Amino acid sequence: MIPFWAQDATHAMALLSTLMPLVAFLAIMLGTRSKEKLSAGLSIGAVAVSFGCSFLLLFRLWNLREPLEYSTRWVALNTVEIPFGFLLDPVSLLMLCIVTLICLLVQVYSLGYMAGDPGFSRYYAFMSLFAWAMTSLVLSPTLLQLFIFWELVGLSSYLLIGFWYEKFSATQAGKKAFVMTRAGDVSFLLGLILVLVYAGNLSIVEMNSPGFAGLMPSTMVTFAALLIFGGIVGKSAQFPLLTWLPDAMEGPTPVSALLHSATMVAAGVYLFARLFPFFTLSPAAMGIILFIGTVSMLLAATMAMVARDIKQVWAYSTISQLGFMIMGLAAGGYFAGVFHLTTHAGFKALLFLCSGVLIHTFHTNDLFELAKGGVRRLKIPMVALAVAAGALAGLPPFSGFFSKEAILAVLALSSNPIWLGAGFLGAFLTAYYAFRVIFILLFPPQTATESSDQLSGLPSAPKPSHHEGSSMTLIWPLIILASFTLLLGFLQGPLENFLVKEDKHVLLSHGVLGAWLPFIALFFALAGAGLAWVEFGRQGARQVGFAERVPFFRDLFSQRWYLDHFYRFFVDRVVDRGFSRLFAQNDNRVIDGSIDAMSRGTLETSRFLAFLQSGMIQYRLLASFAVMVLLSLYFFF
Amino acid sequence: MIVPFGHVLMLAGMLFLLGVFCTVTRRNLIMIILGVEVMLNAAAIAFVGAALHWQSLEGQAFVLFIMAIAATEVSVGLALIVYAYRRSGSFDPSSYNLFR
Amino acid sequence: MSLYAFIFYLTGGLIVASTAIAITRRHMVHAVIYLLFSFFGTAVLFYLLGAPLLAALWVIIYAGAIMVLFLFIVMMIRTDTTSEVMFPLSQWLPAAIFGAIYLAVGVAVVLMTPGTEVALPMVVGSPREFALYVFQNHWLSIEIVSLLLLVALVGAVSLGRGRGEEQTEDEA
Repeated sequence: MIPFWAQDATHAMALLSTLMPLVAFLAIMLGTRSKEKLSAGLSIGAVAVSFGCSFLLLFRLWNLREPLEYSTRWVALNTVEIPFGFLLDPVSLLMLCIVTLICLLVQVYSLGYMAGDPGFSRYYAFMSLFAWAMTSLVLSPTLLQLFIFWELVGLSSYLLIGFWYEKFSATQAGKKAFVMTRAGDVSFLLGLILVLVYAGNLSIVEMNSPGFAGLMPSTMVTFAALLIFGGIVGKSAQFPLLTWLPDAMEGPTPVSALLHSATMVAAGVYLFARLFPFFTLSPAAMGIILFIGTVSMLLAATMAMVARDIKQVWAYSTISQLGFMIMGLAAGGYFAGVFHLTTHAGFKALLFLCSGVLIHTFHTNDLFELAKGGVRRLKIPMVALAVAAGALAGLPPFSGFFSKEAILAVLALSSNPIWLGAGFLGAFLTAYYAFRVIFILLFPPQTATESSDQLSGLPSAPKPSHHEGSSMTLIWPLIILASFTLLLGFLQGPLENFLVKEDKHVLLSHGVLGAWLPFIALFFALAGAGLAWVEFGRQGARQVGFAERVPFFRDLFSQRWYLDHFYRFFVDRVVDRGFSRLFAQNDNRVIDGSIDAMSRGTLETSRFLAFLQSGMIQYRLLASFAVMVLLSLYFFF
Repeated sequence: MIVPFGHVLMLAGMLFLLGVFCTVTRRNLIMIILGVEVMLNAAAIAFVGAALHWQSLEGQAFVLFIMAIAATEVSVGLALIVYAYRRSGSFDPSSYNLFR
Repeated sequence: MSLYAFIFYLTGGLIVASTAIAITRRHMVHAVIYLLFSFFGTAVLFYLLGAPLLAALWVIIYAGAIMVLFLFIVMMIRTDTTSEVMFPLSQWLPAAIFGAIYLAVGVAVVLMTPGTEVALPMVVGSPREFALYVFQNHWLSIEIVSLLLLVALVGAVSLGRGRGEEQTEDEA
């Protein structure tokens, strides 16, 4: 047990690490909006403090056995008590460290990237809000608190995606992200209510305890698990709701890095990992989740194969990798999923930050334009990009190799070989599209290079506009993240000890394929990279991918499997023409109609009364005479 | 012995009906006032007959008040009519419908 | 049928006939003159029914003052009444219907009330008796009525000051 004084200090550190960004957000919004440097300093300082605290917490609680829970009563209803506080256990601590680290690096990076933007202070305020929401989400002891911050994460990502609100597409993308994740959140909330009805509270520790199965019938557990997974689908952009994520590229690139690696989309997978024991109560739900993860992984990988926008490629790869994590988790590989989440956070942030440097320098998102511009001259970003792509593709010695291999090992354990096959296919496709980007960037077509060399004097060619002052703030996070990517893979053992205290090495017994598994995975990754080399890298390559040669696939992939069209169609047909017409008709006919009828009735009645009320004295006299006569009739007979 | 009280009442009633008819149907403000006078006349006849029937001077006293009321009504009413006529130039009651 | 009864029916018929003619005249002077006959008949009827003072007052005030006032106004305004819609259907038809009901009800009530078929006695309330009665029992009411007449006088004067035209011009 941890001594008493340490509990207090731990609590204080947890408080500091979550609340500092909120303080920074409030301070910036209320006081220092006009002073850009001060705002940025506040925000970075706050996130640095929370980063320091979270790492101290991680070291202090490295040998933690039981989850630590600090909570105070927030709302006490008749039967339901809603606590508010912190839950410190290995997965939340690890996630907290990732979040604060990525936030810190991204904020430092943004100093250079966002320099001169009119909304500089606002940007940092939103970043702080985002950090606060995410850290609080990570440490939530109950699902209700988690849900509140879940929504706050959605809100701040909406604000950041639509940060350049004068751009129409940015506001549209922000709206799309918000609405599509909201569709998932409705399902999440329903799931929460279902759990609340049966269990009486939403404590994560209780939901994960083995006794929870006795509280709910197994069908209800499956149902609740699927509903909660709906929220994960929305947040992590899994299969039916995946199209918002590529559009979210409209935000500033550091925001994309943050969204894709540590915060927004990671929140979904984190929730899955958080409630992992709960989900394992329902094998049926796990099967469905495994299927959805696989489908999203493969779909997004195919989309990434044909995208021309560098950020779009990484966006699709994020969906794909998230699907991969979910596959790993759903197949029972708790550690594998969380480990891949960790490594992915590192190399995906690196990918985006490198791309950000390229985009910042050449002012274009298009791969071929970037290649023509001569990105290969930017040595450090390109090396970092290659490292990140290697990690993404799962090549040793980069971190991605280890985590991917862990997931594949878990998949190999499952009875159905389809999942393992899908995993290998995914690894192959991932390596292919990752190196496609690298080769396109590194080896522009010969003619294009020459012409760009010749035309470099012309103003029309995209030219580097590197500000010397900002370069170091842009580069340092890259170096840190690249080293992180290189080293993290070798920390697999300690991390596994930290996350999974008991049942050690049960998951590491590789099924049928045994010890050959890493080599098979490596073979597929190398095959993908090799195919990319053949098509994009070698001398005189046409730089047209095999998928792009078939028009059907090209259209299918670049149109995102027509998902958006389907949504458009669905929204048009079912929602617009079906429901909303129904509601509109209800509005028009029933509500408006009844009000119209009432007013028309009033009007008609008053018109009739006005006809009686001719304003002429003789009719009044006549009426009073008639009344007198009728009264006499009444009284005398 | 003159006539039965009922006949007096019937005469008064018939006169009253004529007055009402005049008031209600004639499209002329002066004729409306005239109809009112006729109605008051009918009421006075009924009161005098009633005074005779019950051998009480109360009915006759009431006719005195009716006369005073009639005089008041006619003077104020006619003054109002003249005033209204000067403003609108019409005796037709249907043209006085500003409140409609 | 005694002489009194004959006189009653004669004057009654005269009153009803002259009133009926009066209310149907298009020309207002004619109407006023016919109504004068009706009021004279009423005065005769009062005399017949034992109210000589009221008969005299009736002639003086009603037939004299009020009708002269009517005549005066009609002549002063000198209006053109030829354009008047005499009996619009929308007015006289309901009036006739309700009038018929009214007459039927009135006749039925009179016939059904016991005591109305008894002939009236011949009694005269002399002016002296009447005056004493009124001033002993109704002196306050008389004073109030005189006040009412004064108010009517003031009102008529203030209405007749000719402000109407000025205001019309103002509003126009």
